[in-house]
Amino acid sequence: MILLAFHNLFQNKTRLVISVGGVALALLLILSLDAIFAGVEHQITAYIDNSGADIFVAQKDVRNMHMAASAIPASIIDQVKAIEGVEIVTPILYVSNMVVTGDKRNLAYIIGLTENSPIGGVWNLASGRGQPGKSETIIDRSIAEMSDVELGDTVEILGQRFTVVGFSNETANIVNSIAFISLDDFQALRGSPDVVSFLLIKTHSGLSADAVAALLESKIDGVTALSRTAFSSQERRVVKDMSTDVITIMNLIGFLIGLAVMALMVYTAILSRRKEFGVLKALGARNGQLYQVVLAQAFMSVVLGFGLGVVFVLLLSGIIPRLGLPLSLEIRPISLLKVGGTSLIIAALSAILPIRQISGFDPAMVFRGT
Amino acid sequence: MTDTTLNVDHVTKRYGSSSTEVTAVKDVSLSVKPGEIVLIMGPSGSGKTTLLSMLGALLKPTEGEIHLNGTIISALSEKHLPDIRLKQFGFIFQDFNLLSALTALENVSIVAELAGMKGVAARKKSAELLADLGLAGRLNFLPEKLSGGEKQRVAIARALINNPTLILADEPTANLDSKIGHEIMRLLRQIAKEQNRSVVIVSHDQRIKDIADHVLWLEDGQFKEIVSMAIDPVCGMSVEREKAFHLSLNGMDYYFCAKGCRDEFAADAEKYQQTNEASF
Ligand SMILES: Nc1ncnc2c1ncn2[C@@H]1O[C@H](COP(=O)(O)OP(=O)(O)OP(=O)(O)O)[C@@H](O)[C@H]1O
Ligand SMILES: [Mg+2]
Repeated sequence: MILLAFHNLFQNKTRLVISVGGVALALLLILSLDAIFAGVEHQITAYIDNSGADIFVAQKDVRNMHMAASAIPASIIDQVKAIEGVEIVTPILYVSNMVVTGDKRNLAYIIGLTENSPIGGVWNLASGRGQPGKSETIIDRSIAEMSDVELGDTVEILGQRFTVVGFSNETANIVNSIAFISLDDFQALRGSPDVVSFLLIKTHSGLSADAVAALLESKIDGVTALSRTAFSSQERRVVKDMSTDVITIMNLIGFLIGLAVMALMVYTAILSRRKEFGVLKALGARNGQLYQVVLAQAFMSVVLGFGLGVVFVLLLSGIIPRLGLPLSLEIRPISLLKVGGTSLIIAALSAILPIRQISGFDPAMVFRGT
Repeated sequence: MTDTTLNVDHVTKRYGSSSTEVTAVKDVSLSVKPGEIVLIMGPSGSGKTTLLSMLGALLKPTEGEIHLNGTIISALSEKHLPDIRLKQFGFIFQDFNLLSALTALENVSIVAELAGMKGVAARKKSAELLADLGLAGRLNFLPEKLSGGEKQRVAIARALINNPTLILADEPTANLDSKIGHEIMRLLRQIAKEQNRSVVIVSHDQRIKDIADHVLWLEDGQFKEIVSMAIDPVCGMSVEREKAFHLSLNGMDYYFCAKGCRDEFAADAEKYQQTNEASF
């Protein structure tokens, strides 16, 4: 009977393509969205992960960068330096704002860097210089390419004009990018020379970042200190929290589309073979056996659809970076599992519908002509 | 009772209820012996298909009983019917009703598998049966690649695969040209006689009257007169026994269309007896 399901499925090529393709596209929606957000989660912490810092010190109760503002007095830098285990301390200024290139406005993290700071700066320089001097900036290469900005051109940041002296890699995602300027310029624009946003700390090697962070918090009032990994995972959580609803809705839509496609496919597959199912019944097939055929057919198309969906998303993840889009698709095993599970549910649900249809077939109809 | 395969006892079938009620079959009785071929003829709408469906346990009679080898199949619950259909009946349809996605071989073997036979054994048995029916070279053809006569032979193989007691055929020749139709019916007769299977055929086709042992005429849901047919051994014509010229020879009965045929037969009985045997 499984053989029959197989042959039935492959006999009508158009229907096969529509159903398998439909399921594949629905699953692709779920898969690619998952992959995009997984990629974003990764990209969004790019600065933190590549900063070279072991510990981030922020204003009390600030635990991430995205959509957050942190202000701590520059005066505590000396206090921090005195803490056991701290090797290097570097302040940065940070604000979420725009890089305006001609008529384009690009959302960006603006980072203010001290001169010759060993940590917190550009980590993958594409071209030019990695250290911004006065009225200079380093912006993301892909953003620059999209806005036709070249080295030596000027862009507008926080209402001021900056000359682009370098392009950096890995500093853009679908949401925003990073632009580096000097700490002095940043402070001048802010009008508050004694305030910084974060302190980036490098510890002596061999020390636990968490332990040093805890020590920092206990010794210095008004700050929150987190190890890089803790800070980074906090940052990811913020993105996740923001994207959960979107993902849930898209997953639901994908699921419903897949279900609708499959239900329709199963329904028409049975309808078009009404006569043949009647014949099988007249010949002595039981409802359960006919049902097996339908179920097997549904599962086969969903498995094919799943495979095709995975192929699509793999292709997409290969193609998208080549288009120069600041988007990376990351396919995680967990989301494959999720989508695999979803597709099995789709198959099972779509195959429940025809139970009544099948048991309702009257075998006597076989003698009543077509 | 053991000498009848099928016994239809005062069976009536009514469709619908009250104002829309149609009595398709009225108080019909009939019995079929092992190896016997019964042809039911009659005008359109006379209830032939309805009767055949009841014989095949596809439809329950409103009144009366149908016995098959002593079992009252008309009283069986829906649960028991698939097994009976599978193992006791072989169905042959007007439009062949092969499964279009399966090859000739698979169309036959799937029915054997439904009856519990293992895949390999089912395929082997099906292939042999199809080869016996002259389809050895068509095993892996899809139905769409087969001619009408080939399709009907596949259907016959499918009907025979589970060694049924009774073969039921509704208009088996209607979609075949008359020569092929007749050939198929001869094949069916040969199988019935060799394997001692009973056959009930419903048909409009006058030309297949000669292969039947009995011809029944159904009209308005009732048998009008039961005509038993014989073949004139001289000219090959199908004749009604009651009206024919008759001759008894060595304990056998012979029927003729005309006095001339009887005389010819009497002159050289041996020659005609042989051709008569050979023709079936
Ligand atoms: N399912 C049904 N519901 C109601 N009436 C039916 C049904 N099936 C058949 N009938 C009626 O029963 C009568 C006998 O129908 P049946 O199909 O048995 O005739 P038939 O002799 O096979 O005709 P044909 O030679 O045209 O195939 C007809 O009047 C028909 O309209
Ligand atoms: Mg009919």
